[in-house]
This record gives sequence, C-alpha cells and structure tokens, in this order.
Amino acid sequence: MTNINGKAYAMNAITPMKPWKTPILRLFFFILGVVRPLQKDLKNLSLIHFARWVSVGRNAFPRLSLEQPREELEYDYLLFFSNFNGTWNQYIDAFSDVLYTGLDAIWHWSEKYPGSRPVTDFKRYITLVQFDTDYYYNVYPQAATNDVKAAIRVEQALSSFARSSQGMTPEEFAKAWVELQAEVCPDLGSTGLAPEGT
Amino acid sequence: MANVSGKVYGLTILSPIIQDDPVDICHSMGLRWYLSQLPRDCRSPFAQLSSTYLARLVVMDDVVFVGHPAREEHLKSRYLIFESNFDGDLDTYLRRMATETKDFVEAVWQHCIGFPGTGDIEAFITYMKRCQVETTFFFADVNDQTVESTLYALKAQAALARFMEKQQGRPAADIQRNFAEFYDRLRRSPGLPRGGTPSRNIPQEKRPHD
Repeated sequence: MTNINGKAYAMNAITPMKPWKTPILRLFFFILGVVRPLQKDLKNLSLIHFARWVSVGRNAFPRLSLEQPREELEYDYLLFFSNFNGTWNQYIDAFSDVLYTGLDAIWHWSEKYPGSRPVTDFKRYITLVQFDTDYYYNVYPQAATNDVKAAIRVEQALSSFARSSQGMTPEEFAKAWVELQAEVCPDLGSTGLAPEGT
Repeated sequence: MANVSGKVYGLTILSPIIQDDPVDICHSMGLRWYLSQLPRDCRSPFAQLSSTYLARLVVMDDVVFVGHPAREEHLKSRYLIFESNFDGDLDTYLRRMATETKDFVEAVWQHCIGFPGTGDIEAFITYMKRCQVETTFFFADVNDQTVESTLYALKAQAALARFMEKQQGRPAADIQRNFAEFYDRLRRSPGLPRGGTPSRNIPQEKRPHD
C-alpha cells in the first residue's frame, strides 16, 4: 500500500448509485464545471493538487473480449480520486468543515451516504468505500499545493525583475531590490521533506 | 471535455485483469508484486514521462457493499486503474508511454485482457482508449503551467531565497552584479529531479536539513 508519496496522499473511493440518479449528478457536475465561482471553496482550500469524479455506468466497465465475463450490476458507480496534502484526517475534516455543501450535493446520490456532518459517520463511510493505492508517483514530492502556487508567484516576480532591472543604476537597483524582497517574502518558505507517519 | 482542465489532462483507465485458472501467482497478485518493487522517485518510469505530475496504479478487486438495504453485488473481473495527471494531449502521452517506458508498460499491462503489446504503437493507443473512462468532473488547482515550468519555479523559489539571504547587508552595486550572475546561472542549471531524489527515503532522524 502506497497511498502517500512525499507530501501527497492518493485517495481512491467507490460508491454505488441507483442508475436513475446518475443523470442528476452529471448535471450537477456540468454546472460545477461551467459556473467557476462554485469551485471557489475547493480552490481556496488549497490542499488538493488534482481531484476527479468519474461516473461509471453499470454497463460501462470496459469489456475487451468475449471471454471476459460481462458485468451484471444493478448500480452505477461513482469513483473518486484525489491527490491532496496533509493527513487523511485533516483532509476529511476540511471536507466536513468547509466543503460540506458541495460534497453532500455530490455524494447525496450514493447509497447510504450519511452526510458530511457529523464527521464521525462521514469518516466511517469514507473508510468503508476507500481502497488503497498500489503505486503512486509524484513529480514534486517535496512540494504541497501551496508551495507550487507560491513558487509560481516567486518565479513570475523574479523574471519580471530580471527584465526590468537591466540597465538600472545601482541606486535604482537597490530600490527595486527592496521592492522585490517585499513582494516575494511571503512566498519564500522552503519546501522539503514531509514529516513521516502521515 | 471533462478530461481536461486548462493545460492538464486527467486520464482514467480501467483495464480488466486476466483471470486464469488456478495458478501459483494470479495476475492481480503478480501485478501488485511488481508495483510494490517499482521505484517511486526519480528512477520511476513516470519520471521518464516528463509531462506527468501525479500518477497512480491501483488494482481494484471489487466494488463495495455499503450495507443493507443497499444491494450486495460483485464485479466479475478485477480492474487495473491507471490514473494520471499530465500536461499535453493524450495521443502524445500514450505514444511516449509505449516508446519511452516500454518495459514498464509491458510488465504492467501483460496482466490485462486484450493488451496488444507495445510493438504496434497505434494498437496500444487504441487499446488504452478502449479502456478509458470519461472523467465526469476534473479539478486541477494549478492548470496553467507545465511540469517543466512548475519544477523551474520551485527551483527558482529555493535559489532566490538562498541568494537573498546571502546578499543581506551588501552594497547595491555588488548585489546588482551578483544578481546578474545568479540569474544567468539559475537559467542554465539543470532542473529539479522529477520524482525527487532517492535520499528522501532515508529515516527522518538522519535527514539533513534543507
């Protein structure tokens, strides 16, 4: 089991849904994709690199040969894959504290979903529907989502400064240098190894 | 298309795993064994696929029974889930998988039904697309960068912090001259190792400070 690589945690979950509910969920996701402000809380939470929901119809599991037995399912299934920073408990707590409205709108359509509040039942449900990762690769194990965002801001400020500071007198450079430091200072926290045991 | 967010492609593949008559080691176990031995740092095959941000491989044994009154049901096949987040387009990525990480792809997908091998690249791409399931909703927090630009930004951030620290209290003319050298060196220096270095696997109490 390798759910963790550096500062990222790979979470997999699968929940059954009655087929008539699937179109409703797809409509919700369509609206969520089109109306970007609805993703504000997810964005502001800033602990998820990438996440996705995949709705697989009961007849949509890939069947590649006649020898492969045909699936005979009555439920559609909702797969959830997330790449987040921090511990499992922090993640689920953040879901329950901040994203409860959106998450309830998504998983409300899954069988026996208890709601994200109170968090105890929610965690019990996630534990039941989660399954482990066998192999997990992370291109920047030393960096959390916030580190990536901060680094991009620093790099943009640095390249802008490098362009604008060409040809300056030492006095002009000194003033611009102080301004650059003030601009990037909040984003200069170092990246590094994650604590163990998360 | 829900598979794409900005510059990032979210690929989800479900490949049915071969179920033979009783054998010493079944395919799903052989697959798990192989994956458990595969390096997860800069020696990973995904580090060679330079456009990969995060990727995972998961053997899904069955669906989940959530308790009564829900119905209990089971899959007839196990599935290998391949989930990858990368920059660029799908065909290029799959083509690179088949050519640049050939041995890895063969070692993994040989356990799956209908895998045509990597000799015929177009057949491999067709196979992977047959196994692909469309993402219903894809969220990428940062979706306007590439892997290379992100790694460069992380390198620049660390380098600038160290440079600023060293220049404290120096005359402006010195800093200006040093900055020109620093920036030139930064632009020409090799990027961060994709996937991190193996040294990060050393025990926490023995790790050097950054």
